[in-house]
This record gives sequence, structure tokens and C-alpha cells, in this order.
Amino acid sequence: MSLLQVENVAKSFFQRGNELKIFSEVSFAVEPGELLLISGRSGTGKSTLLNLLGGLEPVSAGRIVFNGRVVTDLSMSELAELRATGIGMIFQNFNLIPGWSARENVEAVLMHRGISQTERLQRSTAILTELGLGDRLHNLPAELSVGQQQRVAIARTLVNDPAMILADEPTGDVDPETADEILHLLLPRIKSGRTAMIVASHGLFNPALATRTACLKDGKLHL
Amino acid sequence: MRDIIALAGRELKQHKRRTFAVIIGYALTVAFLVILAAVLLYSRVVQNITIGEAGTYFVTWLPACGDISSLSEEELAKLARGIIPAVCKSKCENCTGCNKKPVDILNEGFVINTNGTRLLTLDLVAKIRALPLIKDASACLMFRFRDPQTNTIFAVGGIDVQSSAVSTNCCAASDLIEGNFLTGSSTGRVLVDIGFAGNHGLKCGSTLVVASETFEVAGIINSGARPVKPDVIMLFADAERVINRRIHNPLENEANLILIESRDATVHGKALEDVKTLMKGDSLLTTGCYFPAAKAIGLNTRLIWAFMALVAAAAMLFSARIQWASVIERRRSFAILKAIGWNNRVIILQQLAETLAQSVAGSLAGLVAGLAVLLLVPVNNLLGIDATMTGVLNPGLFAAVVVFAVTAGVLAGLLPVLLVIRQRPAEALRRI
Repeated sequence: MSLLQVENVAKSFFQRGNELKIFSEVSFAVEPGELLLISGRSGTGKSTLLNLLGGLEPVSAGRIVFNGRVVTDLSMSELAELRATGIGMIFQNFNLIPGWSARENVEAVLMHRGISQTERLQRSTAILTELGLGDRLHNLPAELSVGQQQRVAIARTLVNDPAMILADEPTGDVDPETADEILHLLLPRIKSGRTAMIVASHGLFNPALATRTACLKDGKLHL
Repeated sequence: MRDIIALAGRELKQHKRRTFAVIIGYALTVAFLVILAAVLLYSRVVQNITIGEAGTYFVTWLPACGDISSLSEEELAKLARGIIPAVCKSKCENCTGCNKKPVDILNEGFVINTNGTRLLTLDLVAKIRALPLIKDASACLMFRFRDPQTNTIFAVGGIDVQSSAVSTNCCAASDLIEGNFLTGSSTGRVLVDIGFAGNHGLKCGSTLVVASETFEVAGIINSGARPVKPDVIMLFADAERVINRRIHNPLENEANLILIESRDATVHGKALEDVKTLMKGDSLLTTGCYFPAAKAIGLNTRLIWAFMALVAAAAMLFSARIQWASVIERRRSFAILKAIGWNNRVIILQQLAETLAQSVAGSLAGLVAGLAVLLLVPVNNLLGIDATMTGVLNPGLFAAVVVFAVTAGVLAGLLPVLLVIRQRPAEALRRI
């Protein structure tokens, strides 16, 4: 069985009583160690698809199965648990908590899971240091550059060692050099088979790095 | 749980101004509620004093049956022999006096001041005395005599001088202007009202003839505005003896008035009701100033309660407003935390910890402030009341106010977060 199976998934929004269809009949599977690049123009629903895969919002139709669990049937608290343990998300705009330091933002993922504070501090410090932010542990997001914020967001995802990473334009807001650094952090984990990654990008992510590419266009996913 | 408490503490420290405003809000509210609640309890003490001064005593009797002036000569003659006219029959419950009509039925008879009454058994007095809200009940005879020599009409009262209900309803030693008050062994001696004494030239040591029996004036009294005001007061047994000379059949353990004292001001209204129920029929009660005083005080008490409820509601709204603002400000943070794996329970608990910390700190500060005001401001001196405020300050009151404030605060803090966390993380992140 695949790590992730997406079966005939559709998503629509209702705006002022009118149904706005984003996409439909989206089906694909992802195996461990795979990097799937989903490209497409802005507004085609790439971020929405990642949100569905992460259980951040409900599907309109279809089924998503992750590690044998039917994500689309899970309750809010079960979805939260899934995100805490199996799926890591890197958001396009980082989504860091403004009042918390870099280390606190990373440590947040490990909280309320029975992990001791000592271990949490150790792991969050280690991952931030690995990403070159060892001297920025106590800075608030507003005190960091965009690239540094992006690395904090990645650290927050990696500290959990998830089976699957969902990344929305992970290199979209950084210079090519920083983008290269970020990819060098992420790719070894994928190549080692520890994790799979789905990247949504409108063209800034190098397709050559992906093991497979797909394109969201006219409400359909073309593999 | 340690993480939740630590995070709550961090959140409160990070937003010092907001935290301070919330704590001050709670403190002011609790201080105000403590002061109001204490004033409310104090007002009950004042109420007791005021109503106590207005009177916790009263008199009950059965008004005379029918208007004897409307009866025919034949009916009057029959009535004097104990044959009850049809017009009077409906009013006979509890009355024992139909065969004890006065010899001079047009001028003499059993009265309370100027109104005619019927007779009651002393058993009824004992029953009233046994009521739980009654402190004392005493039988009293009051009979209007006509002096056949001078045609003077005057009222004689027969009392039990030992009874406290007599001292509040009729006369007390403190009413004495000159001479001596009656004692249990003052047979043959009377007290005379100052007005009657003045009109008839009576002084201490003078003699007074009542139904052919001579009495010595032991003292002159001014009993003021009491409900029972005979011109001449004597011992119950003396009164019974002289009255028996002026009625067709002698009294047998009977009286026409019952003087009553209720246990205290707080139960006075209920005591009146209980006596009225026991008396049945068309019995009457003197209520003095009790009802107007009780009404005015009750009105004030209700106003304070209403004001207190208003303050409590305003406090809840104030708290809810601040907590709502705090939650709204953090909607995005909550959505991010949910997106990285926090569940709703953890977020609710963190909000609960923050609200609890603020409401407990604010409530305790308010309690101290309220107590300080109550102890430092001499409310009793300002009101001229002979009762201290400290008597109403009790731990139960403080605990109730603090529990109320904390509960209200927790509710006010939890409701907005419960509404906010229902939103799906993606929806919240997209909109905020």
C-alpha cells in the first residue's frame, strides 16, 4: 500500500450561495522517498489540495488515505494528532507565531505529546542549528529575515521527523542561494526514504529535483 | 499541564498591558461587589433595628358582632340573656361572649379603645403564645364603664404586669410619671392615664370607684402611642372582678384582647399572618408602622439587589469583551497551532489557565480593596446606626463573591475560544 492515496478528490467553495468548483477527480499515490511536484498557475488550487491532504479542511468528494488511515473520515482531534505525528506542513507564508521566539515556534510541535522539556529544547535547538539559525534561537520572527523565517518554518516541520512533508512554495520567497540551501536540507531526507514530499509551486521549484511532476489545470490534475 | 501553565504565564507576561487591564477590571468589580454585598447584609441589620423601633408588637381581637343600635328592644333584651339575634350568628367563631353582654348594653361593653369587641378564651392566648414566631402573648381585658353618679364613660384595662407583650402594647414602668408601677401583688391599686387623671383631678394616693369597688391610684402614666390605651389600668384579676359586676354572666377564663410580641423584626410579617390564620373569621390586628417601614426598607433592599445584579452583569460583559478581544487577536495563532498538531482541548485548557490566573488574581486584589474600604469607612457612624459593619463581614460572603467573579470570568473567557476553535485551520488561516 502506498504512503498516500488520493482517490477522486474534489473541492468546491460556496461564495454567496454560488458553488465555485476548484478541482475534481484528483487521484494519485505517493510512495516513501518520492518527491511529487504539483505545478500550476496561481488560483488553480495547489494550496487547497495540500490543505486537504493535511486535513486542514474537508474534501467535497473523494477519499484520502495516509498510512492506511482514511484521512477524510477522521475527526478534528484525530486530524490534529495526524499532523502532530505523521504529516509536516511548510506554509507559503511560513505561519510562525509572532510572539514566540524561533525556538519556541519549533518546540511548539513537540509540546503536549509527552516529550520532556529537556528533550524538546535539545531537539529544537539541534534542528535550528543544523539549519544555520543557532545564533537566532531567541529571536522573534519579526527580527528574522524572510529566508531565516522560512528556515524556522522548515525546522518546525523537520523536528517532528514526519513521514510526509507538504510544502507550499518552499523556496518561493527566498533568493536562489537560500533556496538551494533549503533544498539541500530537505532532499537528503527524501532520498534516504525516510520521508516523502509533495511540493506545490507555480514554477519557482526546479522540476529536475522531483521524482514525479503533475500539473493542476482547468480543475483537473494531469500526471 | 505544566506546559499549559507555562505557556499561559508566558502569554500573560507578553501582553502585560492587557493582563493588567483585565486584572484591574476584576479587582474593581469584586471590590464593588464585596462592598455592595456587605452593605446589603448591613441593611438587613439596619432593617431589623428600624422595624424593631417601628414595633414588633401588635394586638388582636374580634370586632363586636353587628351594630347593636340596629337591633330592636326585644332583640337587645334577648341578646342580654345570651339569645343571639340572626344578624349576629355568622360572626360567632372563636367568640365566647354572647351570654356575657353588659347590663348597660348601650353604654358599657368590651372595647379596644373606642371600638366594641367580642370575647376570646384564654386557651386561644396559649395557642398564640405557642406559635414558633411569637415571643409573648398576653390576655388583656378592656371594658368601658359608665359611672352612674357622674355619667362619666371610661375604659378600664386589666393586664398581666409580668408580660413583655403588655409593656410594648399597653404600658411599662418607663411610662410612669409619678407614683409606682403595678406589681403582681398590687390588688386594689390602679394606674391612671395622665389625661384622665388631669380631667378628674386624680393624683397618686387618690381613690377611684369602679363598679362600686374602690381602688387606690398607685401611679400616673403616659403610655404614648401604644395600641391599647385604657384610662385606668389594674391587675387582670381585679378587672375580671369589677367587669363581672357589669355583665349578665361572669367571665370564665376569657379576655377580649390578646397583646402579642413577635420574635423579631425579620419574622414580624409572618407572625402577623400566623396569628391571623389562627384567629380565623373577621379578627383584626394592629400593625402600627410595621408595613410602611417594611415596605420602604424592602424597596431599598430590592434596589440594592438590582444594582448588584447590574454590576455583576456589567462585570461579566466587561470581562467577556476583553477576553473576546484577546481571543480574536489570537485567532491566527490558534489556527497555526491547530495546523501543526495541537488539538482543541489543549487550546481551551491554555485559555482556561490564562483566564483563571487573571480572574483569581483580580478577585483576590478586589477582595482586599473592598475589605479595606469597608473597614476604613465608618458606614454605621455615617448612617447613625448603632450596629457595626464588621458583624456582616464573613468568609462565606467573600468566598461567594470570589467564586462568582472567577466563574463569570472563566465563562467569559471560554465562550469566545469555544466559538473560535470550531473553525477549520485552513479557513481561519485564509481569512485572517
